Amino acid sequence: MRGAVDGTFLHEDNAALIFAPLQFRHLEVKNRLFRSNLSGMFDEYNGYGGHTRLNWEEKFARGGVGCIISSYTPVAVRGRILIRYAMVDADDKIPFWREVGKRVHEYGCRFIMQLSHSGRQQDMGGVENLFKKAQSSTNQTDFFHGILAQAMTVAEIHEVIEQFAQGARRARVAGLDGVELHGANGYLITQFLSSGINDRTDDYGGPVENRARFVLEIVRAIRREVGADFHLQMKINGVDHNNWLYPWKKKGNTLEDTLTICKMLLDDGKGVDSFHISSGSTFPHPRNPPGDISPNALTRWYGGMLASGVRTRFNYAIFKSPIGGPLFRWLWRSRRGKVIEGINAAYSKYLRDEIVKIDPSIKFLCTGGFQHAADIAGVIRNGCCDGVSIGRPLIANNDLPQILRTANGPIRQKECTYCNKCLVNDLANPLGCYEVSRYDGDTFEEKWEALIKSVMSVYQPPLFR
Amino acid sequence: MDFDPPTPVERVVTRNRWILGLVVLLLILAALYYLIFVNQYVVAYRDDEDHFKYGSIGSEPANGLPILVFKALPVMFPDGSELTGYRRFGLLYESEQADLPIGVSRRVVDGIERVWLNCAICHVGTYRINLSDQPAYIYGAPSNNLRLYSLLKFFLEVADAPNFNADNLIEAIDSPQVGGKLNFVDRSIYRYLVFPRVQQALVQRSQQLSFIHRQEDWGPGRVDTFNPYKAIQFNFPMDEHHITATELNGSADFPAIWQQRPRQGMHLHWDGNNTSVDERNLSAALGAGVTPVTVDMAAIKRVRAWIWDRPAPAFPVASAIDQNKVERGRQLYAEYCAGCHGMKDVSGHYDYDTNHFPRLGQVEDLDRIGTDPDRWASYTQNFSAAQNTLYAGYPWRFTHFRKTAGYANQPLDGIWARSPYLHNGSVPTLRDLLEPAAACGTVARAGSPARPQKWYRGSDIFDPDKVGYQSDGYGYDLKDLFLYDTCILGNSNRGHEGKIYGTELPSADKDAIVEYMKTL
Repeated sequence: MRGAVDGTFLHEDNAALIFAPLQFRHLEVKNRLFRSNLSGMFDEYNGYGGHTRLNWEEKFARGGVGCIISSYTPVAVRGRILIRYAMVDADDKIPFWREVGKRVHEYGCRFIMQLSHSGRQQDMGGVENLFKKAQSSTNQTDFFHGILAQAMTVAEIHEVIEQFAQGARRARVAGLDGVELHGANGYLITQFLSSGINDRTDDYGGPVENRARFVLEIVRAIRREVGADFHLQMKINGVDHNNWLYPWKKKGNTLEDTLTICKMLLDDGKGVDSFHISSGSTFPHPRNPPGDISPNALTRWYGGMLASGVRTRFNYAIFKSPIGGPLFRWLWRSRRGKVIEGINAAYSKYLRDEIVKIDPSIKFLCTGGFQHAADIAGVIRNGCCDGVSIGRPLIANNDLPQILRTANGPIRQKECTYCNKCLVNDLANPLGCYEVSRYDGDTFEEKWEALIKSVMSVYQPPLFR
Repeated sequence: MDFDPPTPVERVVTRNRWILGLVVLLLILAALYYLIFVNQYVVAYRDDEDHFKYGSIGSEPANGLPILVFKALPVMFPDGSELTGYRRFGLLYESEQADLPIGVSRRVVDGIERVWLNCAICHVGTYRINLSDQPAYIYGAPSNNLRLYSLLKFFLEVADAPNFNADNLIEAIDSPQVGGKLNFVDRSIYRYLVFPRVQQALVQRSQQLSFIHRQEDWGPGRVDTFNPYKAIQFNFPMDEHHITATELNGSADFPAIWQQRPRQGMHLHWDGNNTSVDERNLSAALGAGVTPVTVDMAAIKRVRAWIWDRPAPAFPVASAIDQNKVERGRQLYAEYCAGCHGMKDVSGHYDYDTNHFPRLGQVEDLDRIGTDPDRWASYTQNFSAAQNTLYAGYPWRFTHFRKTAGYANQPLDGIWARSPYLHNGSVPTLRDLLEPAAACGTVARAGSPARPQKWYRGSDIFDPDKVGYQSDGYGYDLKDLFLYDTCILGNSNRGHEGKIYGTELPSADKDAIVEYMKTL
């Protein structure tokens, strides 16, 4: 059990810092706790939002976070990562997102839409994409799952830029509080930014300034559509660590590369309002979400991806192998490092220190396993960031903000174990916490029943009563 | 229009499967190619003596015959005798049921088990004391039974035989004597692959060695070491215009091969043309059929290690040594023989020290030793130059071969087992060697004994008194022996005679020397 006191600072000091409002240039958030983008296949197959998504987002608003960053929201069906994710690819999606905003706002919680495009990291493209190769900066096949890619033409690049711009416009029309560009974790924008992936020889490849051209044009297009006063933030890798799986792969962007990109995205004050710092040029990645991996869970649920890539069968054989599974798990753990909670804090601090020298109004969010008040307050107090985004600990404890008001964190049994079973189950099952040990009950059956009840709670209340 | 086309992923997966399948297939084919056509398989013998007798030294890839063909040829071409297999050529089978004779080794080459010769073919002698005895083997001794000339001629004649065809070969292989039991596939392989290759190889070898028909029969226990060597290794022209009758008839006895360590540095071969035991070994291996490319160095090194310190065999009938004469014989031997041949020291060990015996291992000029010059003549300057190009590119390239002026003195350890005597085996016993040679065509006068002019080789019945194999035909049908005529080319029994060689000593002293030599 962690104590209420973190060295010098009383919990009350930590809580005061965490629950102090955060003022962006054009947006105020009531506290420093952001729900990171957690998806779940809750929506209609074709991208219309569903009733369950409303329940899902409302859970976290009710739990007390200051702002929810939406699930991964595709700006085009070509850019989805999994089926049954609500999209923002057309105006007919606006009513749904308006309803999401309304439900969340009732709790004083902000809602930022994460505008996303999978690029070649398209885990389950759905029938719409069955006969298409994924769009990317490169023709190189994704090295993890072997998802096929084709380098986008300049015309296609301009088309996708416009899709992002229109997505942002729809978010604003829907009354949401801002948009975030998903430029981290291996999705399309990362595929352009990363020196480990982008092998183009045109204006969108080569030196970092060229690789950043794609996202800079997106930022400018969004500003053109939503104006200067709509909150716009960029999620970006501090460092790519692109060689986590195969050591002979290029490492990708360094912290210096990222700083250059961030400076460009300020765009003389007309660019982004904040940065959201993550790491890892693929998703998943040992550093994101940082934690464990379960070969058992992979063996059970990875099968749905078999048709998606040319290496999925190989991966599956590794996962289910009595030797390959544990080896993969060992690799996964060893490539992460020892730190989980605050894993990206140092990257964020370096970038924040440099960027606020240029523009003090720019704010930084940092993601990575946060669930203790002392750690959260610590990174804010140390200047690493201005707020933290939380994913899995909020799945484990939807009411984590309320816990943090009075305690350093959940009791030990209820803490997020970073097992990442939620991540793997998301390929086939409702998103929720699948760590049995966290649940109440004297026997496995009792705990499992409690688990199921918790996971299925997202369907409450039902649409038709 | 294809209404169910593959997805891009399926296309790549299918392509990858084809590529993988192709790679696996190629790997399997490469592995099969390696396992069948590159890698060779030999029988590994735990015992060094078995390795000497049957281990492969690498003669099979270039010269070997498929084992079934090897076994079928004597069946196809019988000689009318009761001797089965290669017994008629003096090859030694250790039992009636033995599959192969001593000196014939196996090696699987290109997926087919081939057999050919190894060191033991020429270096295993036998002896019997009594007519009814089973032959006792002397490993490392000259092969006194082997009729290498007849064996070689047999293979060459097979090549030209009108009834050497695939049908007869297959019939012989399937015969009870060979027991090949070929199935349809085997028969096709033998008919269309094996037989044509064997025939072609034999014909080629027959043409290469056609000169042997102009040679005198080497007889049992002898070999023409260098003339076939010239033809096979260097394609020397061997017709009448390029080689004299003297050079062509240089047959000599097989040597003994024990105690090689002390022989290192001595002049080896009968004419002393090389001082390196290793080069001599490798050169002899070429004679057995290896080539510089196919030689199995490890196998030869194992034989080398085995003969390095192998003791000379003890005289087999201790009771036949007249101890009363031995001491006198030792004194005479020391006076007349030891300077060139060495002798046992006081501890009973053979002393090979050239500081003690300055002529030991040295070459005696031809005009001094006076023995038959033809073996010396068969080894020419040109040939030694050519020999020194052999194994070029390998660390063991030949460098020591030289034309000498005569014949080399050898240690006489185990001399009882090296009968007949002189380099060409022209003198049947040690006791005969201490007599002078008579001029050809003359008859020895009563009371003036001389070396026999015509006598029978090929017996393994040992005469423990005169020391040597019986030469009078005792115990044999004479047609099964070889009448050795010392008056034909290469066979002269003259030389190594005169006062300094002891041939003028009184008979009792000669007897005493022989008694002593039984103890060597």
